[in-house]
Amino acid sequence: MMDLFFKPKSIAVIGASGKPGKLGYVIVNNIKGSDFAGDVYPVNPKSDEILGYKVYTSLTEIPGDVELVITALPTPKLTVATVEECAQKGVKAIIIESAGFAEMGGDGKIYQQQIVDIAKKNNIRVMGPNCSGIVSRNIVTSIYPMTKKVPNGNVVLIGQSGLLAAGMASDIVENESLNISKVCSIGNKCDVNENDLLEYFGEEEGVDVISMYLETISDGRNLTRIAKKVAAKKPVIFLSGGRTEAGARAAMSHTGSIASNAKIVEAAVKQTGMIMADDFTELKDFAKVFSTQPLPKGNRIAVITLAGSVGVNVSDLCASHGLELPKLTEATTEKLKDMFDTPVSNPVDLYFSVTKIGFTKTLETTFPDAFRDDNIDAAVLILAGFEYTQEAVQKKIIQKIVQDVGKPVVVCMIVGYNKYKNVIMDEMGKEIPVFPSLISGVKALSKLCEYGIRRQKQSA
Amino acid sequence: MKTAQILSKAREEKRTVLTEIEAKQILGEAGINCTPTVLAESKEKAVSICDEIGYPVVLKVSSVDITHKSDAGGVKVNLQNREAVEKAYDDIMTSCRAYAPDANIEGVAVQGMAKIGTEIIMGMIKDASFGPVVMFGLGGVLVEVLKDVSFRIVPIEKADAEEMTSEIQGKKLLAGYRGNDPADVPYLQEMLVKLSDFVNATPGIEEIDMNPVFAYKEGAVVVDARIILSA
Repeated sequence: MMDLFFKPKSIAVIGASGKPGKLGYVIVNNIKGSDFAGDVYPVNPKSDEILGYKVYTSLTEIPGDVELVITALPTPKLTVATVEECAQKGVKAIIIESAGFAEMGGDGKIYQQQIVDIAKKNNIRVMGPNCSGIVSRNIVTSIYPMTKKVPNGNVVLIGQSGLLAAGMASDIVENESLNISKVCSIGNKCDVNENDLLEYFGEEEGVDVISMYLETISDGRNLTRIAKKVAAKKPVIFLSGGRTEAGARAAMSHTGSIASNAKIVEAAVKQTGMIMADDFTELKDFAKVFSTQPLPKGNRIAVITLAGSVGVNVSDLCASHGLELPKLTEATTEKLKDMFDTPVSNPVDLYFSVTKIGFTKTLETTFPDAFRDDNIDAAVLILAGFEYTQEAVQKKIIQKIVQDVGKPVVVCMIVGYNKYKNVIMDEMGKEIPVFPSLISGVKALSKLCEYGIRRQKQSA
Repeated sequence: MKTAQILSKAREEKRTVLTEIEAKQILGEAGINCTPTVLAESKEKAVSICDEIGYPVVLKVSSVDITHKSDAGGVKVNLQNREAVEKAYDDIMTSCRAYAPDANIEGVAVQGMAKIGTEIIMGMIKDASFGPVVMFGLGGVLVEVLKDVSFRIVPIEKADAEEMTSEIQGKKLLAGYRGNDPADVPYLQEMLVKLSDFVNATPGIEEIDMNPVFAYKEGAVVVDARIILSA
C-alpha cells in the first residue's frame, strides 16, 4: 500500500494553480522538477493548462486511473468532498496538505473524522492532513520549492510538522548536507503514521538510516515492536517531543506517579535500540555519521590532534560520553617511534610528525598507522581551517583512510579562517561528518559506538 | 481463589481496587513470591491465625475503600504475642473507622514479619500509547526522593530485565553495600519477566505496585502489593 505514495504511476493535484507563489503551483512545479515519469493531472475548474500539463475540472473527469491524489484546498469542507470523490474514482492513496483539521479542534476535528470514515470504508490510505507530504527523487509534493534534484541517497527522514520537514528537506537538498532519499511529513497522522513508514522503510533496500521526529506517538506499543525489528537491521534515529516530566499522570499507584511520558519514551528507545537525538541538528548530524561511516566494533577511540590542550578536552568529553581512550599497542608504538619525540600516546599528538614530514604526509601515513592499531575502534580527528590543511582536504585523504582502514572517523573543527573552514565544513562535510564543536562530534561518535556494540552483541 | 475469579468478583462489585490479599493471590498465581497473607474477619480469627503462623506478625486493615493504610493508622508491625495482636486489632478498627467512617472494612490482613532485605519497588502502569509498562527501582526513600527507577515496555525479555536492574543509579546497593547482603539480582530479573508475562496475558489491569519487595541473598519476597483494575 505504501508504494502508492512513493511509486505511483499517476498523480492528480487537487487545487493546482497556475499562479507562481500559490501552494497549488509550487506542488505541481515540484513534481515537474522531479524524475516522476507517470501521468500528472492538475485539477482546477478555472484553468486549461498549468506548467504544460492539461488541467481537468474535476477528479472524475480524468480519463485514466489515478493512483495518488494530492490536495491543497483552502477549506476542510472542500477537502472532505474531494476525499469522497477519490472514493468514487477508486483512488487508494491521498496526501492532504491543507491545515484546519484536528490541530484546530472543534469543527476541524469533525472534518478529519469524516475523512477517516470515508477512507476506512473505501480502503483508502491517507497521509496528513496538515503535512507537506513527500520529498524524493521521484516525487516532490513539498510546499517549498526544490532548488536541486533530490539525491538518491541512503537516508530517510520522517517528520510530523509540515513546515519543518519541508524546510529541512529544502535545506538538505540545496546544501547537499545529507545523502537523503526521502523526506516524509505525516502531519496530523489521521491514518498513515510513523509505524507504517518505519515498517516500510525498514524493509526497503537502499535505505540504510532512518531519522524520525515526532510530536506525538500514535501507537507506542506497535512502535516498540516495529522499531525493535527495524533497529536490529538499520539505525533508527529518534527525536520525540513532549519529553518533559510534567507528563506524569494522576495515578493511584507509586509506579504510576513516577511513570512520566519522558521516562516511558526513553525506556522504549533503549529497549528497541533506537538512537535518541536531542534536537533537529542532531537528527541530521547523527544520520550523517551513520550513513557515511562504518559501524565500530567497540568504544575505543583514538583522538588525533596537533594541539595538546584540545586533546585533553576531547578526552574528557569522551569519558563523559562512555568512550575509552586506550593506549596503542607495542607494535604501533615501535612502528611510529620516529614520528614522535616521546612514545606515542592517546590523544595522538601529531605535532612532531608534522614538523618532520609535513601535514599532508602525516595525515597520509602517521594517522592511519595509529588508526589501524588493534586497540582502536574509531577516531576523532581535530582539523584546523588553515591553509596547511587544505591539500589533505582536496586530496580526500580522510575519506580514503576511512575506506582503507574500515573504521569510522568524525572530524571536529574549532579554529581557522572562514575561507578554509567553509571548504572543510561544506565540501568535505558532504562526504564525511564534520562538526563545528568537539562536544557535537564526540556525542555523535558515542551514538555510533553504542549502536555498533549493540549490533555486535546481537550477532554474537 | 483463581485470578479470573478475583477479577470477575471485583467487576461484579464494581470496584477497581483489589485488596492486598487479592493482589497477593493473583501475583502468587503468576509465580511471584509474596508473604503469605490471610484475612481475619474478627479479633478471635486474627489471634488463631497468628498462633498458627507464629510471631512476630503484621496486621493491616483490609478495606477496598482505604488505599493509604498507614495514613489511616491501619498498619501494625512487629506484634510479638496474642495480647499485642488483640490490642492492635482494636486500635486498627478504631482509628480506621475514625479516618474513613463510610469505609467498608472486611477485617485485617494477617501476615508474618518478613525478614528485612534490600528494599525494592516493582510495578506496572498502563500507558495510553505504549500499553503496559513495567518498572524496577530501589524502594523506600530512594524511590520517593530520587525516583531512581527504570521502565520497559511490556512484553520484556530477560535481556530487558537485565538492563533494568543495571540501569539504576543505585545499582551498587544491589551488590551488597557496606557489609549488607547482596540482592539476588537474577531472581529479581525473573520476577520482572514474570510480572511482564502476567500483565501481557491479563487485560484489564491498570496499575500494579509491589512495594516493598525485600530482596535477599537468595530470592526475594513481595511484602505489600496493590492492584488497580481498569475502570
